[in-house]
Amino acid sequence: MASTRVLVKRRKAIRNIRKITRTMELIATARFKKAMDRAVEADAYTRKLAELAADLTGSATEITHPLLEKRDEIKNSILLVLCSNRGLCGGYNGSILREAMPHLKQSQADGINVHVELSGKRAIAYFKFQGIASEHTYTHFEDKPTFEQADELATRYLEWYIAGKIDRVDVAYMKFLNAARQTPVVETLLPLSSLAPEPTKKKPAEESKEAIEYEFLPAAAEILEEILPMSFKIRLFKCFLDAGVSEQIARRVAMKAATENAGEMIKSLSLQYNRARQAQITKEISEIIGGAAALK
Amino acid sequence: MAESSLKCVVVTPEKAVLDEAADFVVLPMYDGELGVAPNRQPLIGRLGFGELRITQGNQTKHYYVDGGFVQIRGNVVTVLTSKAIDIKDIKIADAQAVLAATNLETTPEGLESQAKAQQRARVQIRLAQKAS
Repeated sequence: MASTRVLVKRRKAIRNIRKITRTMELIATARFKKAMDRAVEADAYTRKLAELAADLTGSATEITHPLLEKRDEIKNSILLVLCSNRGLCGGYNGSILREAMPHLKQSQADGINVHVELSGKRAIAYFKFQGIASEHTYTHFEDKPTFEQADELATRYLEWYIAGKIDRVDVAYMKFLNAARQTPVVETLLPLSSLAPEPTKKKPAEESKEAIEYEFLPAAAEILEEILPMSFKIRLFKCFLDAGVSEQIARRVAMKAATENAGEMIKSLSLQYNRARQAQITKEISEIIGGAAALK
Repeated sequence: MAESSLKCVVVTPEKAVLDEAADFVVLPMYDGELGVAPNRQPLIGRLGFGELRITQGNQTKHYYVDGGFVQIRGNVVTVLTSKAIDIKDIKIADAQAVLAATNLETTPEGLESQAKAQQRARVQIRLAQKAS
């Protein structure tokens, strides 16, 4: 039987760990709420932009734009992987990387020159370990990505894409479906699959179906040309927001599990400790009795 | 038609900046300013960078907006922009830094973007000085 002192020490250590994981859980919960609020606010913009695009397409029937065209031959592409800067968030980073790696291998097997761009220390460390060179790495995207930061990347991608330096942009990240479900995905952002960024929530059944006669300043086609890049930017920004929210959820779940496990461990250790203590007392009593009997 | 007032909604990708009633709104369009009074014809337009003025009663709110789009429909003015700053919050120092920066841009695109950034900065400074 383990000595009682060792057991007490272990129990103390686990209590400390439980305190830490519990605090981290609370922090993650608070941050999740903040991140969620940001995502919801961004959604308003996305919805409006989609509405605008829908109104525009109603009047401008034929749209041709380099951003919409699917290129026949894809030679160069960008794979942007969004991970977290910090660990202790369960399977969050692992599942994203598991999704990203086969995609990368497949693209390379297809003869595509893939430029890897990474966000988050975890992704950087992983790709370094795998011996895959990355072109750009970012660590400044925390749980509060600003539009300006995402805009910087988006503008560069757009420039490259239009200049023909790249033919495709993929983003691997954790897509936020709802508070209980997130899935790792690799999404193709460029070429744009559809005109408008899809809003996360279903639009409330088209309020007024009848087309409204709009005045356009400048012409509808020209406005569309401006909306397309914006649509891409907002999509990329949404990826970052989604990743931020999902990370906090993953961390909260992981820390909750850790706290619970620590509690269970404390219970079992307490049980062991009590048994050991009792055994020791019994042993001492029997020794005393044995000693007394020998004296008779 | 009955007496009605406008509703002005300003949203950026980061947050909904403003959602309130207004009597009169002045938008910085890509080619100049555009005033919007209640019961205007529906419109979709492109914004340039400049000042957005929202008048309600005797009060006028001033914002600096950095491009984007506007949609007017049924007395609702929706401004979609990447940046909307209350002109009291414009940091003159930042804008001046942009102006002062002597970038050695040589490519035509570089020069163009630099010129644009400087124009933006000038507008910001002008608005900020007006506010103070």
